[in-house]
Amino acid sequence: MSTKEVRKKLRIEDILNNNVWDVDYEAHIIVDTSKCAKCEYKPCVRLCPAECYTMVDDKVLFSYEGCLECGTCRIVCPEEAITWRYPPSGRGIHFRFS
Amino acid sequence: MDATSYRFDVVVVGAGPAGSSAAYTLAKRGFKVLLVERGRSPGAKNMFGGRVYVSPLKEIYPDFENKAPIHRWVTREKVSLVDGDNMTTLEYEARNSKSFTTYLTQLSGWMAKQAEEAGALLLNEITVDRLYMENGFVRGIVVGEEVLKADVVIDAEGINRLVLEKSGIVPRLKPSQVALGIKEVIKLSVEEINTNFGLEGNEGLAWILMGDVTKGVPGGAFIYTNRDSVSLGLVVYLEDAIYKVNKHISNYIEELRLHPLLNKYIKEGRIMEYSSHLIPEDIGSIMPPKPYYNGLLIAGDAAGFLLNLGYTYRGVDFAAYSGYLAAKAVEYGHDNGGYNEENLSIYKKYLEESFILKQLKKFKDVHSLMKKERLFELYPSLANHIARELFHIDYESPKILEAIKKAKEGRVGWFTLLRDLYEVSRKI
Amino acid sequence: MPLDIIVGIKWVPNTTAVNIDPKTGTLIREGIPSVVNPHDLTAVEMALKLKDKYGGSVTAISMAPPSALAGLEHVIGMGVDRGILASDRAFAGADTLATSYVLAKVIEKIGRFDLVIMGHETIDSSTAHIGAQVASWLNLPYVYYVVDAVLEDDGNTLEVTRILENAYEKYRIRLPAVISIAMHTFNPRRVRLSEKLRAKMEKPIEIWSIKDLEIDPNCAGLRGSPTVVSGIDFVPKVPRKNEVFQGSDPKEAARWLLSKLIEEGLLDL
Repeated sequence: MSTKEVRKKLRIEDILNNNVWDVDYEAHIIVDTSKCAKCEYKPCVRLCPAECYTMVDDKVLFSYEGCLECGTCRIVCPEEAITWRYPPSGRGIHFRFS
Repeated sequence: MDATSYRFDVVVVGAGPAGSSAAYTLAKRGFKVLLVERGRSPGAKNMFGGRVYVSPLKEIYPDFENKAPIHRWVTREKVSLVDGDNMTTLEYEARNSKSFTTYLTQLSGWMAKQAEEAGALLLNEITVDRLYMENGFVRGIVVGEEVLKADVVIDAEGINRLVLEKSGIVPRLKPSQVALGIKEVIKLSVEEINTNFGLEGNEGLAWILMGDVTKGVPGGAFIYTNRDSVSLGLVVYLEDAIYKVNKHISNYIEELRLHPLLNKYIKEGRIMEYSSHLIPEDIGSIMPPKPYYNGLLIAGDAAGFLLNLGYTYRGVDFAAYSGYLAAKAVEYGHDNGGYNEENLSIYKKYLEESFILKQLKKFKDVHSLMKKERLFELYPSLANHIARELFHIDYESPKILEAIKKAKEGRVGWFTLLRDLYEVSRKI
Repeated sequence: MPLDIIVGIKWVPNTTAVNIDPKTGTLIREGIPSVVNPHDLTAVEMALKLKDKYGGSVTAISMAPPSALAGLEHVIGMGVDRGILASDRAFAGADTLATSYVLAKVIEKIGRFDLVIMGHETIDSSTAHIGAQVASWLNLPYVYYVVDAVLEDDGNTLEVTRILENAYEKYRIRLPAVISIAMHTFNPRRVRLSEKLRAKMEKPIEIWSIKDLEIDPNCAGLRGSPTVVSGIDFVPKVPRKNEVFQGSDPKEAARWLLSKLIEEGLLDL
C-alpha cells in the first residue's frame, strides 16, 4: 500500500485522513439550505477542497468537521446562504506541514 | 475579572508572518505588545505554496538565515508549459540563492517565538470578533462579550479578514479578488528528493507549471522540494473556477499528482497533509482604500499584499515586511503625538517607498493577463507543438521558423501572437 | 458553602490524527499535536459549573512534561483558578498506578479540598483507572459515571447522580470525595480572553518536581510501574466479499440481507 498511495487516485476521505483537527462540538458553518434551490451552479459543492458540501437528492448537505477553514464556500456562494466563522478556542484544523 | 483591567500599547491580530513581524519589531523597541492568534499555536492555521524570498526577512530578523527553519535553498527554477503528456520547460540554475523552501506552519511558529522572546505577549486560541471603536477611533478588540483596549491595533488577520468586514472597514470578499490554492504535502526521504530531482545537500527546486495542469481553468500549479517532502499544489482563480471547474476540485490536484510526467518524481511518497487557502489577487480591487485608519493599521494578506507573476508567487516576504513597516508607523505615531489617521498615514508612505507598493504598482496589470485563455491554454500547447516539431525527428529537421509556422497553423495568427507577446512583455 | 475542587487533566496526543505507517505498521507520531484529554474537559466543565453555583475554587492538576503547560493554560482560559504541573524526569514512564500515586501526593500537598473530579477515561489509553486509584491512595469515597452533583444544605454532603446502561443511581457521599464524570455529559465552555490573559500575566501555574512532594521514588515513574506491555497484536483484516444486492424492492433487500447475516453466523434466528 505504501508506494501505491501517491500512485493511485485517492478518495477525499483518505486524503483528509492525514490532517489533524480538534473538531468543535458546534458547527462553525451554517447554511440556509432553503436558498440553495434557487442556486443554479452550486459552486460550494465543487469548490470546497474538503468536499464538505455534497448533493443528495437535489439537496445540498454539508458537514463542518473536515473544514480546512479556507473560506472559499462563503465567497463563492451567490445566494450568501453561508454563515461562516472561525471555530473558537483553538479548535478546527491544525496544519503542521503546510 | 475582565479584560479591561489589562492594557497594552499595541494589539496585533494574527500571529502569521505579518503579525509576528510587527509584534517582534514593536516589542524590540519597547512597546507593550499583545499578539493574539486564533490557532492552538502560531502557524496552525497558516498555509502557502512553499517558497520564501529571504532579503526582506533578513532586514527584519538579525541572523535570519542561520536561525530560521529553512528547509532548502532554491537553486533550481523550472517553469513548464504543459500540454497533455507533453511538457516544455525553461530551467535556470544558480549557485547562490535568494529564496528558500519551508513549511509556513514552522516559519510562523518561529517568527512568533522571536516576538515572544523580544517581550511581546502571545495568546493562542483567541478569535477576535471585531474591532472596538470609540468616536471614530479603533481603541481595541472585541472577543466574545469582552473588550480589550489598546492605543493602536495592527490587523494582520489574513485573507478572509472577517474582523475588518464585521467592523465595516472592508466589504465582503468577491470571487474576482482571490484565487484558491490547494496543496498536498508528500513525504519522501532526503535522499529520495535529492535523487529524484537531481539536487545535492540542501539545494532546492521551485517548479511552476502552466497549461493543462488546471484543465482549462485559469491558474497554475507548483512543486517545491522541502527537506524531506514535496509541496505539490494548484492555484485557480476563483471567479473562473465557479463556472469552469466541472467536477470536485480535489480531482484536479489528484490528477496533477498522477500526471505521468510528475508522478515519477514522488512515487515513493505518502501524503502528509492536505491544505487549502485563499490568495489575494487583483491588487487594485482587494486593497482597502487605505491601509490605515484612526488607531488601525492593516498588514499582510488582509491588506492584499501578495504578488503573483504567474512564474512566481511572493506572499510571505510581502506580509512580513508590511508588518515591519506597520510597526515603524506605530513608532512614528508614538513619537508624534498619537495614532490618528494623519500620523498613521506614514504607513502608506513607507509602503510606497518600499518594494511592496512599488512592485504591486509595477505589476498591477498582470492579473488581467493571467486570465487570458490563450496564455494558459493555447501558448503552452503551442510551445509543446513547436518543441515536438523540432525534436521529434524521423529524418528531416525543420528550420525554427518552419516549426513555429507549422505548430501555430489554424490556431493563432501572427498578429495575435505578436500582440500577446508585446502585452506580456509590457505587463510582466 | 463554597467548594474547593481539584480536577485532574491529562495532556494527550490528538488521537484522531494518529495514522499507521503502511510500511512499518507502527503509529506515525511525527508532528502530532497534543490536546487536553477531551473527557477531562468535561470534568473541568463540571468543576466550573459547581463553582459557578456554590463558589469556591477550582485547581487543575496534571503530571506531565513541561509541554503540558499549554493544556493547563487552556483550562485556566476556561476559568480554572490555579494549575499545578507535577513534572520531573523521575515521573517518566509511569503506568496508571505510579501516575495516580503522584497525583495523590499532589492533592495531599494542596491539602485543603472538598472534591476531586476526574474525566471518564483518557483517549490515548482508555484505562479509566486514575479516578479509582487516586481515591484509593487518599482513602476517599469514589463514584464514577457521574452526570450531576448537588451540594446539600449541610455543605458537607454531595448528592451525585450516575448513569448506567438503563438506570440512574443516586448516592449521597460525605466530602471530601472523588468522582469521575461520564463522557460527553457537558460541552466544555470556551476559553475567554480575560482568563487567557490571566493565565499569562498572573502566573497561576506552578511546577512541582519530586523535591516539592513527599514521594517514595520507588513508587513513581518507571520504577513504580508494575504494568508491562507484553506485546501488540494487530486486528486481522477481514477480507470483504463485496456483495451487492441487485434489485430495488426494499422488502426483498431486507430479506436478502438477513439471509446473508444468518449465513455468516452473525445472526441466529
